[in-house]
Amino acid sequence: MLRFTIKRLTSGIILLLAVATGTFFLAHLAISDPTAGLLGTTATPAQQEALAVKLGLDRPLLVQFWDWFTHAIVGDFGNSWRNFQPVTAQIALKLPVTLSVVTFATIITAIVGTAVGLISGLRPGSLIDRIVKASTVVLFALPGFWVSLVLVMWFAVQLKWFPAVGYVQPGQSMEGWLRSITLPAVALAVGAIVAVAEQLRNAIVTVNKQDYVRTLRSRGLPQHRIILHILRNASPAALTVLALMFVGLLSGAIVVETIFSLPGIGQLTNSSSQIGDIPVLLGITVISVVFVVIVNFALDVTLGWINPKARVR
Amino acid sequence: MKKATIAAVLTASALVLTACSGGTDSNTESNGSDASSPDLNIGNFLDITSWDPSLADIGFDGPYLSAVYDPLVALDADGNPIPALATDWEVSDDFLTVTMNLRTDAKFSDGEVFNADAAVASLEYLKAGARSGEAYLNVDSVSAVDEDTIEFDLTQRDDTLLYFMGLGRSYMVSPAAISAGSLATTPVGSGPYTLDAATSVPGAEYHFAKVADHWDAATYTFPNLAIFPIMDATARHNAMLSGQINVNFAEPANIPQAEQNGWTVTSKVSGWVGLQFTDQTGDKFEPLGDERVRQALNYAFDGAAILDSIGSGAGEVSNQVFPSGSLGYDESLNGLYPYDVDKAKALLAEAGYADGFALTMPMSPIFQTWQAVAEQSLAAIGITVTWDDMQMPDYQINAPTYPVFISFLAMDSNPVATVARQVTSTQWYNPTPAYAAFPDVLAAVDTVHTATGEEQIQATADLNKLLTEKAWWSVWYQSANTYFGADDITVTPVTGMMFPTLRYIQHD
Repeated sequence: MLRFTIKRLTSGIILLLAVATGTFFLAHLAISDPTAGLLGTTATPAQQEALAVKLGLDRPLLVQFWDWFTHAIVGDFGNSWRNFQPVTAQIALKLPVTLSVVTFATIITAIVGTAVGLISGLRPGSLIDRIVKASTVVLFALPGFWVSLVLVMWFAVQLKWFPAVGYVQPGQSMEGWLRSITLPAVALAVGAIVAVAEQLRNAIVTVNKQDYVRTLRSRGLPQHRIILHILRNASPAALTVLALMFVGLLSGAIVVETIFSLPGIGQLTNSSSQIGDIPVLLGITVISVVFVVIVNFALDVTLGWINPKARVR
Repeated sequence: MKKATIAAVLTASALVLTACSGGTDSNTESNGSDASSPDLNIGNFLDITSWDPSLADIGFDGPYLSAVYDPLVALDADGNPIPALATDWEVSDDFLTVTMNLRTDAKFSDGEVFNADAAVASLEYLKAGARSGEAYLNVDSVSAVDEDTIEFDLTQRDDTLLYFMGLGRSYMVSPAAISAGSLATTPVGSGPYTLDAATSVPGAEYHFAKVADHWDAATYTFPNLAIFPIMDATARHNAMLSGQINVNFAEPANIPQAEQNGWTVTSKVSGWVGLQFTDQTGDKFEPLGDERVRQALNYAFDGAAILDSIGSGAGEVSNQVFPSGSLGYDESLNGLYPYDVDKAKALLAEAGYADGFALTMPMSPIFQTWQAVAEQSLAAIGITVTWDDMQMPDYQINAPTYPVFISFLAMDSNPVATVARQVTSTQWYNPTPAYAAFPDVLAAVDTVHTATGEEQIQATADLNKLLTEKAWWSVWYQSANTYFGADDITVTPVTGMMFPTLRYIQHD
């Protein structure tokens, strides 16, 4: 297990280094002169030059990269070019918003997806199973923004149960925080739930037919113990989908953050790319890759723990 | 001393404005709050550019900045400068000195008093600012005459100084905050509200507390203020429908629903849409130097259809850059270039381009809305376009290196400012103003810059006529900004401000 863990960690770190380096050079090549975007069109050439010197843009690109890289590996992504505040502080301000929504969406997905997958998987071909299968196709095809808009129109505009836009910090009001992230999380979860439920249902149907389950039944094991056995063996597929969903939801959050006007990473990415705030964009990229690596690593380790055969991969 | 701008008239306008706000109403409480006034929750389009007025962009920063800062000079709804922290001003006979008297009862939120020294420190800071400096290009120095008087010394006559100051370039900041270099994150002004950092979420919502003894409390009656930057128009509309906001930078498509809900709907032209020419002399691109080619490019576009289909009908069909209804605008010029492909082709043929020509133009995501119609309209008269795609920051740098590009340029309510921004001064969209190469245009511009009063207004109208006839631009239409207000709240739009300052958001 140790060798397996080290191997997974090493590949994660290599991926992180490759993406960070690639993004650095691509961003600097794509944005030719950020000072005009940052200072506005009324700035004089002297003011633009002064800003370029202040930002260190007058140095060779390789020197800039080395400077950024050596600081980034210790978690210092420098200062934003827009407001000269530390990038880490800005990400720290926005990340909890996105993570709140995505984590909440993942929890909803895990609970509802497992329940639905289990119910329909244990009785394949039943009415519930057929309803779930039919709705799966429809729900998975629904665009996220459309679901969001329907939720807003119904639960925020008509019923006024939840706010239509905005984010409340948990420190201000726990209830307000939950209310502000509920609709965005549900909007994100709808598609994910059906994906997880579908995977789990199919796995349960397969596992349920296996000999050892029949053996357990013939020994008179209580139903809930049998279900636990089935779940453990059927869960790898669903877990993989859930982990992929979590990573996918991070990027899907951009749309939801726009519709619900949430000050998350999606909005920060959007506004930073508009004015060419490269340090912030690089910080976001690295943090996102770290998340992808961590989630994949956690998934691999969990799957390896559940099923030792997976460690051989 | 010649009193070019006299405070009496201006103060009267200010009184009219403040009277609207219920300043003399019996409902007014001691801190200026109108007991019947609801809280003001504004749905703005963009987040604040910076809390530092020297780095702020005028466009959508109006409500944010006017909440926490007082300007020296404000504007009335027609774009005329009116007193704010400056009570009145005089312009010398040679137009090179402006003397301003200041209020003595304003205080910054950090406890520092506002006086001439503070005003000089603020103005020097603003003059050096990358964004705010545009207003003070002709200001040589500012000095304190006495405790409540300051003097601007100009290098040359500048009829736009007071207008730009009023537009949002004269916000006074605490000298202590300038020294601390903390304005970008912590605004310290003498405005009617203070930013409540504890309950604000940067990028999502900003909450403000009312200043109890503000000198102009009668103008700012809302007991509480919140501003929500919401880029998505549907999200802003939903926030308005759900009651979270009661003032919205709105989409014209939602006007019927707004009227159904009994909201106030106001709108006014804010910018012109069309083709910006950077080369009327033909130095960079020969065909454009021929007036007939530029006129052909005016006949080739069906402005009314473009306004209807792409601009949702919000605006005015016009071929001039002076805002519809403003001083200098000439209604009769709008019939100059009716949509006429044959006429356009004939003009091109006359100019020696019977087979049209090839043209390369820049394109960025923001202008893609008009890309198809531009390509189609130009193709109809034989001009084939090759597009160079780029991102918006690069567009602003690179577009003016092309002879022609699609533009949406903000308009100004002040006619002399219009002449400056659209014709004579160097701007990102007009890097090499060409007016001096045309003797008749140069003479007309000189008349604008030397005349005063009514004569000057007539001179701007004459210049407008000359430039429109010369097809200085290809204007398709003037686009309007629309605002909704609920609970009897009315927004009075001001051309030049994409979102008006708080002075123009009033409870009826």
